[in-house]
Amino acid sequence: MATAANSPTESRYRLDQVDADADLMVLNFGPQHPSTHGVFRIKLILDGEIVIRAIPYAGYLHRGVEKLLEKLTYAQGVPIVDKNDYVSPMSNEQALVMAFEKLLKVEVPRRARYLRLIFSELQRIASHLLWLGTFALDMGGALGGGSTVFMYCFRDREGILDLFEAVTGGRFHYNTHTIGGNRHDIPLGWDKRVLAYLDMLEPRIAECESMTTNNSIFVARTQGIGLIDKDLAQGLGLSGPLLRASGVDHDLRRDAPYHAYDEVPVRVMVEQAGDCQARALVRVREMRESIRLVREALAGLPEGGINSGKIIKMPQQFKAQSGQVYAAIETPRGELGTFVIAGGGDKGTAPYRLKIRAPSLHALSALPWILPGHTISDVVVVLGSLDPIMGEVDR
Amino acid sequence: MGYLTDSLRALGTTLRNMRRPATTIPFPQQIREREERFRTSFALLHDENGEELCVACLACERICPSEVIKMKVAPKRESPFSGKRRGYLEDFTLDLTACIYCELCVQVCPTDAIVMTRVPEVPGFDREDLVLTMDKLYANEHAKPLTWATASKLNEMQEPPKVAKVEPAKTEPAKTEPAKSAPAKTEPAAAEPAKPAAVAEAVAQEAP
Repeated sequence: MATAANSPTESRYRLDQVDADADLMVLNFGPQHPSTHGVFRIKLILDGEIVIRAIPYAGYLHRGVEKLLEKLTYAQGVPIVDKNDYVSPMSNEQALVMAFEKLLKVEVPRRARYLRLIFSELQRIASHLLWLGTFALDMGGALGGGSTVFMYCFRDREGILDLFEAVTGGRFHYNTHTIGGNRHDIPLGWDKRVLAYLDMLEPRIAECESMTTNNSIFVARTQGIGLIDKDLAQGLGLSGPLLRASGVDHDLRRDAPYHAYDEVPVRVMVEQAGDCQARALVRVREMRESIRLVREALAGLPEGGINSGKIIKMPQQFKAQSGQVYAAIETPRGELGTFVIAGGGDKGTAPYRLKIRAPSLHALSALPWILPGHTISDVVVVLGSLDPIMGEVDR
Repeated sequence: MGYLTDSLRALGTTLRNMRRPATTIPFPQQIREREERFRTSFALLHDENGEELCVACLACERICPSEVIKMKVAPKRESPFSGKRRGYLEDFTLDLTACIYCELCVQVCPTDAIVMTRVPEVPGFDREDLVLTMDKLYANEHAKPLTWATASKLNEMQEPPKVAKVEPAKTEPAKTEPAKSAPAKTEPAAAEPAKPAAVAEAVAQEAP
């Protein structure tokens, strides 16, 4: 690894640098702490209020999804992964379905690719809105933000859930993607509802900005906190907004276009600072970019079928040759990849092994590097800025 | 200094939002209007003669990812209305405690017998209250409004458009694209399996 530090303890604050008389204390942060955004535990070794060392422990939300997907057939797997990253279920479905399509060599019709893009970007807005709300909540109610921004963001996010409900019938567990396309076409007049919603949302993002990223209290609490430099970000395999906030210009939507991103180009938002403020700025700008992408995709939405694969009739209908594929998409949190090893022959109806590469797990792996030296109140801010979703980390 | 002005500005945003209409509703007195496709609970349907539509083909039991559907099949007998021999249900239970509401059972049904409802079940006091028995499922047919989705509607939506089919679910009436993409892809797929058969025939004729 190209970082200056070779291990977390050797970063900026080393154990041997601590005064021998120092009264060190061990604090278990979580697993039931509301600021850990799920069930996650960090063992903090403290000198007074300063963190000397941080050891993260994940695995409290393990549900054996990967094993379950080996038991289920290709046709049955999609509704299960909705529950992985429960803040952006659409992205989960897409990552899994894209891997299966690559494996089974199924083409996706153009209209379905556009619909997937629209769903993916709306989901990105919803996910970032939830993040902005909970991040403001992590800051506490000191600024005009706090629980106020939290409520406003959740109110605006409801609009997207309503839109998804109109298409798929589910508010959260959609099961709208299938191998070869989508299961639901959009109903009549849905695009007008989306455009009206986006027109409503755009000024409200500016409102949230004035209470968070443009607010001097917010800036004071985030600027220079939780620095991840370029080398560390690349060395740890971070992706998504975390990587772009550290000055690495990388986005799968532009660098390895899937869906219809080759026809609707993405402007990638990059910040150089690598601190919590930069991560917040990247996410807020991505929301604006997603609004533009949805508008553009809706304007160019082609006619045609939404499914070119076989319509699901029975569990064993998809048969794969033995082989392995990897497909990745850019979710709100970063690169969500699905690696499938297919067993051929009579075992060809279900994956032999399936591995999900979750961006949140890599984000959490940065904690031992960046937490030492911060106070406990900053631990909450740093953890919030990483935007981890435990369902995805533990799977 | 900046903190004070920023706090006041944030307060201004709060005041502006106070004038906006409330987004929450007093729930038990007032219930949100649900979308046409909104899906929660289940129902089993009868046909126009009042005969059960379910033919006990076990398709939904097989597709269910969480294995919540359990079926007992009655012996086949002749239908009093159509006179055809068909399957009948002896018992059907659907365990809502483990259901993930994925709608796959609705999609695979060959007779549109199982559908979902737009109104959820009333919360119960026992675990048994959450298991939908056959009686409850048939009662839901009239007790609860049903969703838009049935197997035939879902399949029609997913099938590639044949020629210039008028579909209500399309956004733009102008049809410029469909002739290009979908039929072009299906044709080679249909043609390819025919080739090896033709070759095999030719080989078989030459051999004797």
